[in-house]
Amino acid sequence: MAERGGERGGFGRGFGRGRGGDRGRGDRRGGRRGPRREEEEKWVPVTKLGRLVKDGKIRSLEQIYLFSLPIKEHQIVEFFLGPALKDEVMKIMPVQKQTRAGQRTRFKAFVVVGDNNGHVGLGVKCSKEVATAIRGGIILAKLSVIPVRRGYWGNKIGKPHTVPCKVTGKCGSVTVRLVPAPRGSGIVAARVPKKVLQFAGIEDVFTSSRGSTKTLGNFVKATFECLLKTYGFLTPDLWRETRFLKSPFQEFTDVLAKPTKISVLEDVEKTQFIENAF
Amino acid sequence: MALSQKERDVQMMLAAAVHLGTKNCDFQMERYVWKRRSDGIFIINVGKTWEKLQLAARVIVAIENPQDIIVQSARPYGQRAVLKFAQYTGAQAIAGRHTPGTFTNQLQNSFCEPRLLILTDPRTDHQPIREAALGNIPTIAFCDTDSPMRHVDIAIPANNKGKHSIGCLFWLLARMVLQMRGTVTAAQPWDVMVDLFFYREPEEAKEREEEEGAVQEFAPTEYVAPPLTFAPADAQWEGAVPGQWESEPAVAIPGDLAGAPVAAEWTAAPAPMQAGGWDAIPPSIPPAAGWDSAAPIASGWEAAGPQAPTGWDPAHL
Repeated sequence: MAERGGERGGFGRGFGRGRGGDRGRGDRRGGRRGPRREEEEKWVPVTKLGRLVKDGKIRSLEQIYLFSLPIKEHQIVEFFLGPALKDEVMKIMPVQKQTRAGQRTRFKAFVVVGDNNGHVGLGVKCSKEVATAIRGGIILAKLSVIPVRRGYWGNKIGKPHTVPCKVTGKCGSVTVRLVPAPRGSGIVAARVPKKVLQFAGIEDVFTSSRGSTKTLGNFVKATFECLLKTYGFLTPDLWRETRFLKSPFQEFTDVLAKPTKISVLEDVEKTQFIENAF
Repeated sequence: MALSQKERDVQMMLAAAVHLGTKNCDFQMERYVWKRRSDGIFIINVGKTWEKLQLAARVIVAIENPQDIIVQSARPYGQRAVLKFAQYTGAQAIAGRHTPGTFTNQLQNSFCEPRLLILTDPRTDHQPIREAALGNIPTIAFCDTDSPMRHVDIAIPANNKGKHSIGCLFWLLARMVLQMRGTVTAAQPWDVMVDLFFYREPEEAKEREEEEGAVQEFAPTEYVAPPLTFAPADAQWEGAVPGQWESEPAVAIPGDLAGAPVAAEWTAAPAPMQAGGWDAIPPSIPPAAGWDSAAPIASGWEAAGPQAPTGWDPAHL
């Protein structure tokens, strides 16, 4: 009893509980969906982008990516990818902080989200309860959804199935290298990056990794970084000059100019206050 | 010989010392520097300043909704200029401290997503620059010779240390914007003075009020009488309040009006208010629900009233 948490040196005991938490890795698929129906219907957008998306002015996520607009509300992503978006908890990792009265344990959840067709997101959330961490992780994963560029290994027949070129991503000591593979090879990777690549919609790829891949956090982040870079790579077919379009904020200024109830009051108060000061 | 618009503007800028930089020069500002003076100060090429002002004005005019533009100044010298600029161009002004997260934290009350940001000094206003970079917001800034240019999209080389200089620049920029929009033309020149954009020291403001105060000294004593007579009849003025209103001015008029920039500013701004600032408040409150709701506000003012002038005096004497 005295060994449990009272002493400062009780680290080994703490990990005993951690190994129990790992059991949930493959089993927890998707999380609890039942009682959360009502929240998703009552979305009141806070950001300009959110308002435009809700009004249906934005045609696809790709338009948002084109202008590098920061996505602050996860409902935006749900709007475009909603039903196709699947999530998976990669790991629940208990992390501890030492306090005067023992250890403070929190749970860190790694959640990967994706539509198996070119979009992946990775979210990491730490919380005192597992369920909260998972929920928060899913939201963060949706916010970080990235487009993945796919290409061909050889002949350009059919749909793109592999990475367009060799790309590598690094996080911590882990480097992950993705190499284009011929059709039918499948995803040749370890369990962890395989999951991420499946969500991305990549069908065939060879991988090579280095570093302490045991650290799942870094491993998963490294593959995510790698996939990020697929659209950052300049290939000859992108040599053509870009035709610049108007940013959605510019195109739809009149829609955005219509004030929502709250902002009108605030502006009036603000201007009065400022004028009074001078 | 008649001077062109540009030449007249350049003359004004030289008079306002816009061309005087600092003893250091950032390498990216070298292209705007004309020469280094014998005492080490870099001189900015004012012609280039004018060109950059034009460019900035074009960008400002290109924003369809002027409310999406935010003009900002943390430093006191730029605050008045920024407010007047916003007033005449329809932009939004932020004077004083920029709360971190106003452009990035969507949960904040003061969250806004501007289309354009105009700053007086990239060094003191570095926080808004950083946030604008995160939110894809183009930034225009008045840069001195030693200002960091990171994340500044349009740099207007100028002296951002002197109050005349900042005022002059904002005035010019505002006028250019109005000219490009067509509000101001050669036939209808802009009738607003540059002086309106200059920063006024509190002592200077106090002196101005003293002059205006001398005129108004008589007015409050007259105005004291009416509330007393109206008290039982008029529904708006409850018994307690007029008595309190009356006691303050009677006790402390000369000192108050002389040393109360707050009250004085009330006189300066709204034209119809002839008496002291005390009367400026009630007319705006009654239209609302009733005196009950307004009474706490009025009493708050009273509590603040006698204290505010005396509080200001030691600070400014």
